[in-house]
Amino acid sequence: MAQAQDKMPRGSSVKTMSDGVEILWFNVGDVVYGIEIAYINEIIGIEPATIIPNIPDYIKGVINIRGKVVPVISIRKRFGVEEIPYDERTCIIVLEFDGGLQQVGVIVDRVQEVVVVDHNQITQTPTYQNVNSNRYIKNIIENNSETGEAKLLLDCEKLVWE
Amino acid sequence: MAKFEAGMESMIEMFIYETTGLIEQLDNILMKTEADSSFEEDDINAIFRIMHTIKGSAAMMGLESLSRFAHGIEDMFYVIREEKPVINDFTALIDLLLQASDIMKNEMDVIQDDNADVSDLSEQIAHIEDYAKSVKSGSINAQPTPAPAAVAAAEAPPEPAPAQTEPAAAAPVTAAAAPAAAAPAPAAAPVTSELTAVKVFFDDDCKMENLRAFQVIENIQADCAKLEYIPSDIEKNPESAKIIIESGFLIKFQAASDISTKAVIAEIADTPNVKSYEVMTEVPGIASGEPVSMRVFFEEDCKMENLRALLVINNIQYQCTELEYIPSDIETNSASCKVIIENGFLINFTAEDPEAVIKTVETTPNVKSYEILAAESPAAPVTGTPQTSAPKPAETKTEVTKMETQKTPETSAPAPVLSAVEKDAIGTTKAVEKLNSQLGNKTAGSTKQSLISVNLNKLDTLLDLVGEIVITEAMVTSNPDLKGLKLDNFQKAARQLRKLNSELQDTVMSIRMVPLSGAFNKMTRIVRDMKVKLNKDVDLIFEGEETEVDKSIIDQLNDPLMHMVRNSMDHGIEDDPEKRIAEGKPAKGKITLAAYNASGEVIITITDDGEGLDAHKILAKAERQGILTKPANEYTDKEIYHLIMLPGFSTNEVVTEFSGRGVGMDVVRQNIEKIGGSVSVDSKFGYGSVFTIKIPLSLSIVDGMEISVGESIFTIPINSIKESFKVRPNQLVKDTSGREMIMIRGEVHPLIRLYDLYGLESKYTDLNDGIVIHVEADGRYACLFADELIGEQQVVVKPWAQLLNNFGVKSHGMTGCSILGDGSITIILDIATIIGGTN
Repeated sequence: MAQAQDKMPRGSSVKTMSDGVEILWFNVGDVVYGIEIAYINEIIGIEPATIIPNIPDYIKGVINIRGKVVPVISIRKRFGVEEIPYDERTCIIVLEFDGGLQQVGVIVDRVQEVVVVDHNQITQTPTYQNVNSNRYIKNIIENNSETGEAKLLLDCEKLVWE
Repeated sequence: MAKFEAGMESMIEMFIYETTGLIEQLDNILMKTEADSSFEEDDINAIFRIMHTIKGSAAMMGLESLSRFAHGIEDMFYVIREEKPVINDFTALIDLLLQASDIMKNEMDVIQDDNADVSDLSEQIAHIEDYAKSVKSGSINAQPTPAPAAVAAAEAPPEPAPAQTEPAAAAPVTAAAAPAAAAPAPAAAPVTSELTAVKVFFDDDCKMENLRAFQVIENIQADCAKLEYIPSDIEKNPESAKIIIESGFLIKFQAASDISTKAVIAEIADTPNVKSYEVMTEVPGIASGEPVSMRVFFEEDCKMENLRALLVINNIQYQCTELEYIPSDIETNSASCKVIIENGFLINFTAEDPEAVIKTVETTPNVKSYEILAAESPAAPVTGTPQTSAPKPAETKTEVTKMETQKTPETSAPAPVLSAVEKDAIGTTKAVEKLNSQLGNKTAGSTKQSLISVNLNKLDTLLDLVGEIVITEAMVTSNPDLKGLKLDNFQKAARQLRKLNSELQDTVMSIRMVPLSGAFNKMTRIVRDMKVKLNKDVDLIFEGEETEVDKSIIDQLNDPLMHMVRNSMDHGIEDDPEKRIAEGKPAKGKITLAAYNASGEVIITITDDGEGLDAHKILAKAERQGILTKPANEYTDKEIYHLIMLPGFSTNEVVTEFSGRGVGMDVVRQNIEKIGGSVSVDSKFGYGSVFTIKIPLSLSIVDGMEISVGESIFTIPINSIKESFKVRPNQLVKDTSGREMIMIRGEVHPLIRLYDLYGLESKYTDLNDGIVIHVEADGRYACLFADELIGEQQVVVKPWAQLLNNFGVKSHGMTGCSILGDGSITIILDIATIIGGTN
């Protein structure tokens, strides 16, 4: 999908504002991932998607968001994690690309909160990690320097377009 | 926008729109003249006018360089027009003009680019001037007409040049300025020291009337010895536009000694956006003591016209030294009313101050209009009276008969003042006829007045709204709350609403429809340029260029068409005519651009009779580039041809100016897909190739039949459905490989089970339970098997999201999707692709 990518303005790789980067944290099972707020248009409750035949199974179909037809991706399917039934906490994070021209929904188990992360907490992805979702990881966020707890910042461009 | 003065911004868009249109027109003329290898008089005039207008508006925008540039070309054409020089190197002239057109196009781009500075065109201007000189000197050899200084003046003010040459040029091509000497206005005898007053009106809605007025002044300034105008603050005061709209723009001028008044008036009339003008005859004035004859008309239905006339006479009698009137028995004979109504009330008088008298007449109550006839022969009116209905139309047409609505030079004859009354009688009728005939023959010019230009965004919004209305209508009329209710009146009203909505929709669509000829014509230029550069002789043929498509589609079509025509020129047509002849083809190549409507789609084909695509070469190259997705030997010819539309593919080993970078076909495919269309290519090696673009007629609304397959709802465009029916067991046949066919009236058609095709869970798998829909596209038939028919509905087509396009949903027969009344999403099927995919 190289051509699609060329057209997308590269999401300003981690914004370096003086007060850091705003990141939305969400859960996929027990793992916590983050997405930069800059990509997020809105978060809506889960709704059944209309199936579109003959496309990769991680794209669950399309939904109608106020007259716009938006494709939705199951992040579990995308990461190769077993899918679970939707519950009241399942929601769709609607991302936007190309200056809002393209919207794509991402189904996640539940969203947590938006946190401002200082840039010195952001580190590059180590290459040895052997997680299935590794290819979609953009950075590692060191959440707590004492405990060494870390969270993963997703690369939305890769998540959606590759 | 620093290149423009403050307050000009709103003009820029209009300027660019107008000028771009003119440049396009210029290109078209040039293409035509090149094909005929001669300039028609009309063409020369048209080019002259175009350059003149560009010059004027550029000057108005303060684009001095562009204005001078246009002036240079205008001058050159002045020479060509007036002296008809023998043009030796016709191609060179066309080349030069095309270059000029490119330069101007470039300027338009520059103007729109906030960051770029307006270019300095002095070099190009000098070039044009040089050429004009050579044209001129050539002309002197050919035709020894003295041509004073027509070409010299890039810096000189525009108009004197034409005017100066006027007496010299014995037989000018057009008589724009010529009648001046031949037709001095007789009775009014304009003493040269008098100022001529002209009131100018501009096109309705042309905006910025003050600047338009300023342009008029700029245009004539150089030709006038004296020049006054009201309002005088047009340059600084935008409020003056209002005054101009209301009461016109009054110019008083005295032409320079070597220029006729008529020439100046013609100049005014030629200025863009001038809608009409009137020459005010009172100002040159009727000399004191001279006999004046005037005809007065009263307001319709004012009754007792004879007494009204008497009132006029009473009012003016003390101002006049002599006074006669016809009918003369107004005081005694009430029947004179009729005569007055029919012929007007004729007054002959002599006065110290005739203008004051006229003024008095004008201000007398119930006087609707009057006309000044001639001064002589008080007896003449008798011969003048037999005219029957002549004044009437005149009366209704123009408030004051002397008003001239004429714009064209030939009609700027001295209509207001005629020497004899009978002449006037004819004159009035003539004026009316002239007006009518003008309305008729000026269609080309006057279409402008029945057309308005609208911002496309507004139309887009309108279309969106109509789309929403269609959806909402469905939401209301098939609202689940209404289920099971008997609502006769509601249904009636709903039908009415549906009918109106569909009319509304058709109208909005038709507003947006534009013929393809504009897009096609642009290709002429490209082919022409490439013909020269690649040294290939090619005919470009259009078919069906009148086919209309939505404006937004046309805009997206220019680039793809250009790429494809370039490809055909560059790769398609052979370099060597010998090779063509050896293959039994004519030496001259042929590229055909054709367009036609087919079942709600517009098909555009670009056909060349060149080399055709070499499947082996393409496959080999694709393999080298590693873009094959399956073993090379599994590719069909058609699939191989499609490889050329993948990004980065180009068989041309050498990158030329025109192609070879491997972006062309990829861009074509993407652009076409963006507007919901598709591209396919077919070719026969050695015989040529055909590129077929299929685009929807309009992006938006489709009449569709909804069908269900399991949970999914699909929409089949109504115009591809032949019928739908339940299958009888004996209709089903199977071929040797087990493919199912349905027999309909003696013909077998392949059966496509939609749940199978799309891998869906369906309600029914037994043919007897579900429904079969017999569909057709491009002359091929198939039967689709679905669960149920839901109903017919108009749907607003939404294009697929980029993400889904990336996975080629279109190639699986899904054109787009739509939102139904209940908010659910339906997938619109593309029958042609579905049928094509199964064969």
